[in-house]
Amino acid sequence: MTPHDVAAPGPDEPIERRTVLGGMAGMGVALGLAGTAGGLGWIASQFLYPAGGRPTAWLYVAIARDIPKGGSLSYTGPTGEKIAIARQGETGAVEDFVALSSTCPHLGCQVHWESVRQRFFCPCHNGAFDPSGIATEGPPAQAKQSLSRYPLKIQDGLLFIEVPIPTGTGAAT
Amino acid sequence: MATNPGWLQQRIPISPEQLREFTNEPVPNHLKRWWFALGGTPALLFMGQIITGILLAMYYQPSMLTAYESVRQITEDVSFGWYIRGLHKWGATLMIAAVILHQMRVFFTGAYRAPRELNWVIGMGLLICTLLTGFTGYSLVYEQLSYWGATVGANIADNVPVVGSLLKQLLLAGEVYNEHTLSRFYIIHAAVLPVLIILLVALHITMIRLQGVTEFRFEDEPEDKPRSFNFFPDHLYTELIIGLSLLVILTTLAVAVPAHLGPPADPLSTPEIIKPEWFFYVAFRWLKLFPGTAAVLSMGLVVVVMFAWPWIDGAIRRRQPSSELSVWFGIIAVLAIIGLTVWEAVVAH
Repeated sequence: MTPHDVAAPGPDEPIERRTVLGGMAGMGVALGLAGTAGGLGWIASQFLYPAGGRPTAWLYVAIARDIPKGGSLSYTGPTGEKIAIARQGETGAVEDFVALSSTCPHLGCQVHWESVRQRFFCPCHNGAFDPSGIATEGPPAQAKQSLSRYPLKIQDGLLFIEVPIPTGTGAAT
Repeated sequence: MATNPGWLQQRIPISPEQLREFTNEPVPNHLKRWWFALGGTPALLFMGQIITGILLAMYYQPSMLTAYESVRQITEDVSFGWYIRGLHKWGATLMIAAVILHQMRVFFTGAYRAPRELNWVIGMGLLICTLLTGFTGYSLVYEQLSYWGATVGANIADNVPVVGSLLKQLLLAGEVYNEHTLSRFYIIHAAVLPVLIILLVALHITMIRLQGVTEFRFEDEPEDKPRSFNFFPDHLYTELIIGLSLLVILTTLAVAVPAHLGPPADPLSTPEIIKPEWFFYVAFRWLKLFPGTAAVLSMGLVVVVMFAWPWIDGAIRRRQPSSELSVWFGIIAVLAIIGLTVWEAVVAH
């Protein structure tokens, strides 16, 4: 195509009605196509985005006085997460207890307890946490990320924990 | 059946002359040197990956309950399963190494410079697709490395500002690894990335054909010698020799160092000593040195700089036309990559 073919009408030339209508139709088609593509893209993204929200429930853990000060137990939640529950005080209140997730807040690997060094250690990127879950070494310490805690409560001397519960059929397997 | 000599010609109306002209791009002499055939090497290996990948897909089952057992079955029960899996695994290793070497060759010979900046960008896209294919590939075995690799990978994505959470959700099909995760990794590994790679390679080769490869003349070449040779059959023979050599190397590796099977995935415990495949050692060490977001952002910045290097280099050379700063920059980058890789390789933690 030569430049002449696509040249816009000069200032004195009247713009033809047909050109305007043609241009508008073209724009209409382009907008329609863009809209369709956008709509399909939105539907695809909704399809790909997993159904969100995990319900939680309060579940029984142990008789509170059965765990002595300094004692701990490992608890596995119904969706498979490992939780370390430890007693650090003797007032008998829920504040004596701490429930720490074993999932490293850095990039999601599982920490484990090293009794010799009295710390939780994450083997993926060398993160370390003290017994109350506060990061002491590695990337989590630099980023000030601690092990996340689960809510606890004591009712009639029984210790309860709030954890996610399975939904649907898939998660129950 | 009566044979009509014009039958094929009528159906495919290309004359032998046209065909020869179409395929017979003159190849510059420097491509006779093997380190200039490093682009064909990953392409050949990629073809092998597709063939062995299709074969493996006949038995592989992408679900948390069946994936590990199906890989064990391929490795131990199916006839020549160990060989096909070995070829696929070692093919991936060599392909990644070849892509990296090819990119280094392009970098150090300055072949990314104007007007070939866009082809460098396409090449960077290919490098990233290749690394992602490797990552999603070892995630499919559903051994410990697969599970924790996928988890760490998704959480790296999560550390990307703004879109991170969405990326992680789309990759894992949820907040955490779940029963839909493996099928996503599988479809990304076996359909999405290979198609992307094919499209990018097609674009890459088209660009080379349009622009011609950068010509080099080495000091030991006589001035009056022709500067090019024919693609067919000369260069094709070179590629054939490379292809056959690769098959010998791959077979030797598949037999001598067979693809093994680690312990099955255990979502409840991360192994005491865990490392990704060698090509992610650099990133893994980097993640140990810096906190999450800082590590992820700095790695992202490195990638952006690599994509933009032809223009950064161009700006430097406009100021100092004779500057070979990029060579020094490249040497430092290569040493840093080797250093971090070796560091990660030799220590337990």
